Amino acid sequence: MIAYAAQRLVFVVFILVAMSLLVFAAIYALPGNTAAIMLGQFATPDSLAAMEAKMGLNDNFFVQYWRWASAFATGDLGQSMVMERPVAPILWDAMAKSTILAAASLFFVAVIGIVLGVVAAVRRGRPIDGAIAIFTYLGISVPEFFWGIVLILVFASWFDLLPTMGYASLSDGIGPFLAHLVLPVVTLTLTLIAHVSRMTRSSMLEVLQSNYVRAARARGLPERRVLRHHALRNGLLPSITVLAQDFGWLIGSIVVIETVFAYPGVGRLLIFAIQRQDIPVVLAVILVITAVYALANLAADLMYAYLNPRIRYGRSVG
Amino acid sequence: MDDALLSIENLTVTYDTLAGPVTAVDDLSLAIGPGRAVGLVGESGSGKSTVAGAVLDLLAPGAAIDGGRIRFEGTDLASHDRATRRALLGRRIGSVFQDPFTSLNPAIQVGDQIAEPMMVHLGVGASEARAMTLERLDEMGFARPAEIAGAYPHQLSGGMKQRALIAAALACEPKLIILDEPTTALDVTIEAQIIDLLERLRTEKGLSYLFISHNLGVVRRVCEEVYVLYAGRLMERADTDALFDRPSHPYTRGLLASLPRLQPPHRVKRLSTIPGELPDLLAPPPGCIFEARCPFSAEGCDRPQTIRVAGVRQMTRCHRHAEIAGEAWPSRARLGHDFSRKGFGDALVNVVGLKKRFRMGGLFAGIKLKPGLPPRIVNAPPVVKAVAGIDLVIRPGEVVGLVGESGSGKSTLGRLLLRLEDPTEGAVEYDGLAIERLPQRALRPFRKEAQIVFQNADSSLNPRKTVGETLRRPLALFGIVPARERAKRVGDLLEMVRLPRAYATRYPHQLSGGEKQRVAIARALATEPKFIVCDEPVSALDVSVQAAVVNLLADLRDELGLSYLFISHDLAVVAQLSDRIAVMYRGTFAETGTADQVLSPPFHPYTLVLLASAPRVDGSAMPDRSALLRDAAPGAGAPDGDGCPFFARCPSRIEGTCDELPPPRRTPAKGHAIACHLKLDALPTRFVPAAPAMGAAPGAVASAGPE
Repeated sequence: MIAYAAQRLVFVVFILVAMSLLVFAAIYALPGNTAAIMLGQFATPDSLAAMEAKMGLNDNFFVQYWRWASAFATGDLGQSMVMERPVAPILWDAMAKSTILAAASLFFVAVIGIVLGVVAAVRRGRPIDGAIAIFTYLGISVPEFFWGIVLILVFASWFDLLPTMGYASLSDGIGPFLAHLVLPVVTLTLTLIAHVSRMTRSSMLEVLQSNYVRAARARGLPERRVLRHHALRNGLLPSITVLAQDFGWLIGSIVVIETVFAYPGVGRLLIFAIQRQDIPVVLAVILVITAVYALANLAADLMYAYLNPRIRYGRSVG
Repeated sequence: MDDALLSIENLTVTYDTLAGPVTAVDDLSLAIGPGRAVGLVGESGSGKSTVAGAVLDLLAPGAAIDGGRIRFEGTDLASHDRATRRALLGRRIGSVFQDPFTSLNPAIQVGDQIAEPMMVHLGVGASEARAMTLERLDEMGFARPAEIAGAYPHQLSGGMKQRALIAAALACEPKLIILDEPTTALDVTIEAQIIDLLERLRTEKGLSYLFISHNLGVVRRVCEEVYVLYAGRLMERADTDALFDRPSHPYTRGLLASLPRLQPPHRVKRLSTIPGELPDLLAPPPGCIFEARCPFSAEGCDRPQTIRVAGVRQMTRCHRHAEIAGEAWPSRARLGHDFSRKGFGDALVNVVGLKKRFRMGGLFAGIKLKPGLPPRIVNAPPVVKAVAGIDLVIRPGEVVGLVGESGSGKSTLGRLLLRLEDPTEGAVEYDGLAIERLPQRALRPFRKEAQIVFQNADSSLNPRKTVGETLRRPLALFGIVPARERAKRVGDLLEMVRLPRAYATRYPHQLSGGEKQRVAIARALATEPKFIVCDEPVSALDVSVQAAVVNLLADLRDELGLSYLFISHDLAVVAQLSDRIAVMYRGTFAETGTADQVLSPPFHPYTLVLLASAPRVDGSAMPDRSALLRDAAPGAGAPDGDGCPFFARCPSRIEGTCDELPPPRRTPAKGHAIACHLKLDALPTRFVPAAPAMGAAPGAVASAGPE
């Protein structure tokens, strides 16, 4: 198990290096370099050349990459060109706010999605199964910004119950803090729940028809016990993988949702940085998002391995 | 029978299908007395598993009991509510199903799965349940019960899993055990062990069995009385010896006659068959349900048949049972000339020193951290030797049978001969041409001449293509006939495999299992090959259909002069068809020779085990298998790679020799080779097949039913 985790960790590092190279190369290939952006459109060719030389922009690509990457690895994420502050504190602050949003959404997606999926599987073909299918498909087939706007319209414009934008920190009181989270979290949950609940339903159906569930029934175990002890343990394994994949999707959705609700998280920071061509911030944000995504997948794999004895205990006995 | 433990009275079960209701079990009555072992026999579609489902209240969705009663210990089971009825299971009625590989929960330790019903039904605590679990596992013959209890299912072999499942079925000491094809998925040596275990348990614990099986040999071994089902109807009921020695219903007689026998001589006659197939249960015939396939049908058979007395405790659903008692089930001689008698020419396929190793696992498999300071990474990818040095010659027109248990490497060898796998080492020559390293392009002429038939025609035929399209494809690919003649050639091919020409427009799902396999054979024949690898072509088929397909393959060999490599785990089927037989174990040949040589002494110790384990319907006493096989997992071999592959399971092994040195080749006769350290005169000879078989007049044995 430890060897397995170590192997996977090596993979994650490999992915991060590859990803950083790719992003760095993409920005390198773009027209207009950092010096041009800093000096603005009225820069003279001479001052541009001097700036480029000062910033080392004439160096070989790999030298530039190495300079950036080694600084990044030691925690120096660079300086924001637009805000004229170090990137790191800006990024960590936005990260913290997005994490709250992501964690809350993922929690509700997991709990509600799995419960809906299990109920649909156990009551297969009944009206409740159909109702769950309609609800979840509506969530997945309509884009998240639509739900965001609908929710804003209903809860903020018509009933004036909840704030539509921004963020309140815990120091402003627990009430405002939660109120600002409700609409974005509900929107994100709606769009992601279908994936988890459909996967849970189909894997539970498969398990409920398996020979070992039949064998458990034939041993006279009550149906509740068959479901809890024999079916859930295997039926939920694929849901874990799906949740990890959804995490990537969630990051994508967060960028949209934070824009719709003007929520000051990492997604909004990225959009802002791209619009202003704030290259150090773009690089840092993309790399951190990649790292989070890769680590989420790693966590899912380790959890899957832990729950699946075929990976945990390989050897045979007897 | 009021003293019966289980009595089924006039049970009718129907399935709701898209096409309409289908009566899967029709008016079945059956009783099992305390301590009795009752067999329920039938081919697929006979409704035998539906009976088990009805008793256990675990019928598939869409199935419903339409009539009759099931009484257990005198109480009508339908009078219980669902939960009470469920609680009877495990506590009073145990059950064991066909597939041990999927019947244990992969996420729960084996011991917990056995202890669980004890805690639920008997209300005992965890520690007491654990002690009882170890006791059960000990009864199942496990040497180290605690280790098994703590293991997860994937850590056990198939036979061990089935023993664990039997332990779970017996957890609360029920009186009745329902066994639904409990040995069908297992290798023949393991099947024999499980049957021995079941027999011992029944005597020791006074259990009753409802033993459901398609395998007549196993039923004869285990059961005291037998019910024969066909298309959901009871055809015959008799005590076991009476049923096998004096079968009264034509269907029973046909089943027994279709079985291939192990005794030489082989190949002289064809197997007897039951022509036709199961009636359409959506619109069953009004008269005898077996009439369409019955060689004895006559006037009166078109009227509904009732159960009548045919002998002492013997009942049959045939009004002519007395008249036809003296008539033999029709058998037929081979068509055309005996190809094998002409003698074979030079090698068509010539294999020398063939080896195939597979690397296991993914990119990082086998990379291990070696402890020490600093820890080192060693790369030792686990390797499976599927084929470990094979020499083989197949001559034109010759059938070589390849027999072995699962995992012996027989399918890999077949695929290597066709270059569907690339060999790791060694040479494969086809018609003088070395094919083992040829690029795919250069293999085209060879691909035309060498074809394959797979076990499962369900997955080897494209479900979206008609039979005609499937057969036209190779005709076009290899330019066998011009485009305008292809339709005619498709019809000819269908006739060759004894199917109507009109089948060209059918889709695979419109065909029965036997018909699909015939189409698969026709597809192999389309390129006009000389050599066909038949990889378990009849293993998935019912006995009556299997006989017809084996006959077809034999006829085609005689008509077209084909060579086969005929792969099977069933020695009797191999013996029926083959000129020579190779017995494979862990990638090497244990024994090779003509069919007669391999089936007669002296034997390789492993061949002897295979012969002794095969269940037989002739009622001959089984040899004591416990002396023939050590208790080790199938496929277990010598400690390191060099010794005899059979070392771990061999009862005659010589310590210090067999585990160190590769076995030498002993040749008791020309063409007969046994790879064994035992000297020729020390090789086992004890096993002699059934009393009347070997010595009896040749020709009388192979074909006939049990008159």
